Amino acid sequence: MRKRTRPAVMNGQISQRTFQRLLALPPPLRLRTFSILNRPPPNYAGHVPLTLVERGALALGSAFGSLRNPHRHDLIASLGEATAKPYFISRLRKAMLANPTGRRILRDKPRITSQTMSLEWLRQLPDNTVGRAYAAWLDREGVTPDTRDQVRYIDDPEEAYVMQRYRETHDFTHAITGLPVIIEGELAVKAFEFANTLLPMTALSLVAVVRLKAAERKRFFETYLPWAVSNGLKAEEVVNVYWEEELETDVEVLRARLGIEVPPDLREIRKVLRDKNKADMAARDAKNRLGAGMGV
Amino acid sequence: MASTALLRRLLTLPPLLRRSVYSSAATHNGASQPDTYDVVCIGGGPVGLSFVSALRSHPSTSALRVALIDSQDLSTARTTKDTETYSNRCSSLTPASLRFLKQIGAWEHAKRERAQPYHAMDVWDGVSGSKIHFDSVDQQQTGLLDAVAEMIPGSRSQASRRKYEVEDVGVATMCENANTTSALLQRLHELDEERSKDRLIFDMLEKTRVESIDLGPESKGEESLDLSQWPIVTTSHGRIAARLLVGADGANSPVRQFADIPSPGWDYNQHGVVATLDLDQQITAQNLRTAYQRFLPTGPVALLPLPGNKASLVWSTTPQHAAKLKTLSRPDFTAAVNAAFRLMPFDISYMLSPNSTTSPTDELTWRESATPAASTGVPRNFPRITSVQEGSIASFPLRMRHADTYTGHRIALIGDAAHTIHPLAGQGLNLGLADAESLAQRIAYGVDHGMDVGSCWTLDGYNSDRWAKNNAVIGVVDKLSKIYGFGSGPVVWGRSAGVEVLERLGTLKGWMMGAAAGVK
Repeated sequence: MRKRTRPAVMNGQISQRTFQRLLALPPPLRLRTFSILNRPPPNYAGHVPLTLVERGALALGSAFGSLRNPHRHDLIASLGEATAKPYFISRLRKAMLANPTGRRILRDKPRITSQTMSLEWLRQLPDNTVGRAYAAWLDREGVTPDTRDQVRYIDDPEEAYVMQRYRETHDFTHAITGLPVIIEGELAVKAFEFANTLLPMTALSLVAVVRLKAAERKRFFETYLPWAVSNGLKAEEVVNVYWEEELETDVEVLRARLGIEVPPDLREIRKVLRDKNKADMAARDAKNRLGAGMGV
Repeated sequence: MASTALLRRLLTLPPLLRRSVYSSAATHNGASQPDTYDVVCIGGGPVGLSFVSALRSHPSTSALRVALIDSQDLSTARTTKDTETYSNRCSSLTPASLRFLKQIGAWEHAKRERAQPYHAMDVWDGVSGSKIHFDSVDQQQTGLLDAVAEMIPGSRSQASRRKYEVEDVGVATMCENANTTSALLQRLHELDEERSKDRLIFDMLEKTRVESIDLGPESKGEESLDLSQWPIVTTSHGRIAARLLVGADGANSPVRQFADIPSPGWDYNQHGVVATLDLDQQITAQNLRTAYQRFLPTGPVALLPLPGNKASLVWSTTPQHAAKLKTLSRPDFTAAVNAAFRLMPFDISYMLSPNSTTSPTDELTWRESATPAASTGVPRNFPRITSVQEGSIASFPLRMRHADTYTGHRIALIGDAAHTIHPLAGQGLNLGLADAESLAQRIAYGVDHGMDVGSCWTLDGYNSDRWAKNNAVIGVVDKLSKIYGFGSGPVVWGRSAGVEVLERLGTLKGWMMGAAAGVK
């Protein structure tokens, strides 16, 4: 039975009730859609619905917490989820839906875990394939595919999957660009991802550049940030790559298809610099000892 | 000397005989003289037929010599007897149009079982989901303020309330154009039979093509007519001189071109796709039906109810989407229409884009599971479309045109010849019927006061009555289509907030419904 709306012209309270009803704006525009004492049921397993105030507090806390301790990957994850809505994660989902491969990914909803990605099989692939590069990178950095947190704070199940997919394919971005998991490498990848996916968390995490040493910061602004911005903008959307099907593709072919150039090998540069510094220090020590021996 | 005496005697005859003598004297002067009529209406669509019926039913104008010219065979404009199939050319008739059709006596000849009145309208925004619900049943409530107003002696609030309560037609009535046309034709035949004892002075010239319209020749002698200011219509059957030439001949009106009346406007870069659909829904016992309209960024899609479990679709969309829709198979078309009401706008655009690889039916099943109904704003009791009627999918380009003036010397324009409007408000035919009613009233006034029906004394009243009102409706509809053409940004926020506010202001909504219903 259709609910009959009573006309506002009933008694002296018309102006107050009309005023209250006028304030009840549509859901996207309201400040609070539910009370914390009366949370709506979860939309998927592990979902935690948050009010706007709670989301803001989560964003602020995660931002400062991850700045103090960049190894807190769970804080970086919650910062990403708290700042992705209302516009950015929807834009990314629309970008996936506009692309035929992206649509297939959203339909199949594949997950990357150590069960679905067999590392033994990946290691025996030919050297120049994506799968081999991924396995080599995992071994070099000493990480596994299981270190990714579950998405909890995004309401729409499909948008939550998009966030989860972005997180799980972050390692593939590392693998095809060759950047390591140290802070400098992570910041370069985050800058690339901001230019490519436009998620706010990637831009906010660039604030961690204050934690770099002076030489590292110089290297970042001179080399890696320009590389990240220009490549992220001109490359195809990396989130649309169906990695499970690209494991046996040649890495150069994939990079050419996506439009990504390889940045200078960060570990190599650091190793060379470290060796040079060590040699300089040894030479200086020797000179000092010599000088002391000669009584100068 | 003798001719002036004859003329004076002729002038003392009663009008009927005088005119017949006059015109027979005119034709006697040779076959080169065109046949003279008082009113010639070019165009036998619903608007032209209703105009001629109004002239013939009104006692003041029923004695005018009237001709109706149409290139089609009007006797075939009948609806099928099959209750399972409905034509895809349907129109929504407002209560004012119905009142006019009843007044001229045509509505009783219409097949009522093929017309569907509807009592509610659900309109929602395809991007933000904000919705507005119009309900003619709710509008008839009385509140304390109305009761007090009625008790005041001499108050006319009851009279003004009665405006909206027009015999339970609800918001409007959906009727096939063929149904309306055949009802009007039957009324004209009925009027002819009533007046068959008089000289038959209505000529329906069907299957007659208009070859050209020119101004007539000057008088060659004393007894020939000076037709240099009269429009002469050259048809495949002969030449006709018109005291008043009425153009009801559609958007590319030859009468308007003859009169050199400019008709500025623009094309909407949209095509309107129409079809007849089968629905799956529970019909209530009182048969209260609802019309639905969703505003997508590519254009509005509307579902208008027809008798039984059927509906008429009007979907204004880009020409590329319209072309793709016409190539789809019937199940795919049904899935696309369901998607148009239930999925997000970018999903619909992807489904109809040329690089989509999966069929619309698969896409709909998957995307519907991933689209929460609350975010798209689809009403809870929205029916599911089960199939589309064979051969009923068609499309036409949409444009807006408004003639600078509706009248000229011995020229008047009514209907689509005068104005073309976007179909999103269902006002096109209703404005045309209101034009026909107004012009017929002005001609009756002119005849009663002894005016020449083709002169500006008669016709200026029609122009001043209708032009401004039509301009307002066309303007509002055009701005609505432009506001709802935005897919994102502050305009979306602004229009959603406006719709939500309007949904809660019952009196303003009631006024809007009254204005759209066209009651005077």
